[in-house]
Amino acid sequence: MAVITTKGVEKVYNPNKIPVKALKGVDLEIEAGEFTAIVGPSGSGKTTLLNIIGGLDRPTAGYVEVGGEDIAKMSDNELIDFRKQHIGFVFQAYNLIPVLTARENVEFVMLLQKRSKSERHARADELLEAVGLQDKVNKRPAELSGGQQQRVAVARALAPKPTFILADEPTANLDSESTSNLLDIMARLNQEEGITFVFSTHDQRVIDRARRVVTLVDGKVDKDVRQ
Amino acid sequence: MAWRNVWRSPTRSWVVISAIALGIWAALSLTGFATGMMKSYVNSAIENSVGHLQIHAPGFTEEYDLKYQLPPAPALEEQLKALPQLQAYSMRTVVSGMASSSQGVRGVVVKGVVPGQEATVSAIKEKLVEGEFFPEMRGNAVLVGQELAEKLNLRLRSKLVLTFQGLDREITAAAFRVVGIFDTGNTPFDGGTVFVERQDLNRLIIPQTDTTTVPSDLVYEAALLLQDVDQVDTAAALLQRALPEEEVKTYREVSPDLELYESQIKNVSMIYLVVILLALVFGIINTMLMAVLERIKELGMLMAIGMNKLRVFSMIVLETIMLGVVATPIGLLLGYLTINYVRENGINMSAYSEGMASYGLSQVIYFDIEPGVYTEMAIGVFLTAILAAIYPALKAIRLKPVDALHSF
Repeated sequence: MAVITTKGVEKVYNPNKIPVKALKGVDLEIEAGEFTAIVGPSGSGKTTLLNIIGGLDRPTAGYVEVGGEDIAKMSDNELIDFRKQHIGFVFQAYNLIPVLTARENVEFVMLLQKRSKSERHARADELLEAVGLQDKVNKRPAELSGGQQQRVAVARALAPKPTFILADEPTANLDSESTSNLLDIMARLNQEEGITFVFSTHDQRVIDRARRVVTLVDGKVDKDVRQ
Repeated sequence: MAWRNVWRSPTRSWVVISAIALGIWAALSLTGFATGMMKSYVNSAIENSVGHLQIHAPGFTEEYDLKYQLPPAPALEEQLKALPQLQAYSMRTVVSGMASSSQGVRGVVVKGVVPGQEATVSAIKEKLVEGEFFPEMRGNAVLVGQELAEKLNLRLRSKLVLTFQGLDREITAAAFRVVGIFDTGNTPFDGGTVFVERQDLNRLIIPQTDTTTVPSDLVYEAALLLQDVDQVDTAAALLQRALPEEEVKTYREVSPDLELYESQIKNVSMIYLVVILLALVFGIINTMLMAVLERIKELGMLMAIGMNKLRVFSMIVLETIMLGVVATPIGLLLGYLTINYVRENGINMSAYSEGMASYGLSQVIYFDIEPGVYTEMAIGVFLTAILAAIYPALKAIRLKPVDALHSF
């Protein structure tokens, strides 16, 4: 069953001045449990596509369905709520909340979902253990390495049990050992728990681990290969 | 999270907190100064001769016409003593006239008093700088103000001729001996008021052909001091019912400038507070705007992962309120300590004393403040914080997550 469906998605920036067509009609279906990398040269539109799939941006034309809902027509507030419930984000720059501890960062979205304290604690501890950070629960981001912060970010993205995880260049700022650790964790979560991962990446190590690679060139799907 | 965000930049937060605290301290101190000055002015007027209440026959205060007499002293005294709030009273004869010496002539108000009564109502006895308060002596004694003494070159034992109209409207003049010189610090009062014994004055205003009027019975003004100045309106109403044909006035009605002063002080305090808080608003807006702009990426991320605009808005407002919550007790405490210290020790304004005396203000100002002002201040700061937070919070929620996340 498809968790993400796009049909004829277009995105034009600056339509009234010098229009730039970032996406020129993207048709894509991503099934539950996939481990998909979206790749392409700079300017190919992969970040734009990810932003649209993640409900952070709206397409100029086309149809976007996530978890069975047409998100292109949602208002800003509806999109915020939708992302909270259905989409987990892992950013290139980790983007943890600096004043919160690792555990509090992981609990944060569950707090927004008004889950009980005991439920939040239990889930946060479980996830931090899953990413190998059970002894760092009370550390703030400034006390963690880049790799550790990104693992906290993955745990945070998983905490609300989203429909899928969207990761924009998650390994860009990591060394090879951290990258390898992170990919191991994500792959294990994908295989054991069936969590859907969609990456945007330049990193060959990520591409090699993906089971499906969608290549964008000039705003269109050029290749779609299952590995 | 809001509390922790406040302390991300401790230096910046403490600068804003200090600014707010100092603003509160300044507003409280200025209000304490203004209130102290007002009370000094009002108390000075009350002490010098106005009292808390005054009674006259209707029409007397317009022209000081001696035909408008109060009931005879014994009967009047009985009514006054029946007032439960009474502390002291002084029954006076008051005429307007001229004071002349070899050096010049001045218009004065002549107050004929019973020394024992007057000493309990006004502070003239304590304000003597030379001489005595109506010592035993032959002849007519007069107390003059320092200002009048300087203008007419009077010293102790100097002769002063007082000229005024009598009951028969004939001009009467009599020589008085200066037995005391007072300085109330109120230049107009000291230059325009003299005190004599009532019996001496009454003897002079009664024509020699009048054999029926008893000098000791003649009274034109009764000044009353109450146990509590806040009872003044109640006491005035009671006395007016007891003396329906006379005019009973509170000190505010006797000297409308006192009422004006009292009401203006409240307005002035409000103006100080508003001006200071307005200045603080801009300082807080500046700080919170910086705090928002340097967190654009983080705010974008928060909205991306599901924090709605209301929560983001509330977080910024809460951070601002927390700055106020830390600053307000500090400012209030500083203000409280300053006001209490100056309330006890006063501020010596002698460098400005000449100017102040000409307005009826004393040299030393003791701060004073209504307790409610502290609450008003706290509420004012709270509202200021909310007002100041609105613009930065709106800026935060207008961010588009996709743009914020990709900003540098």
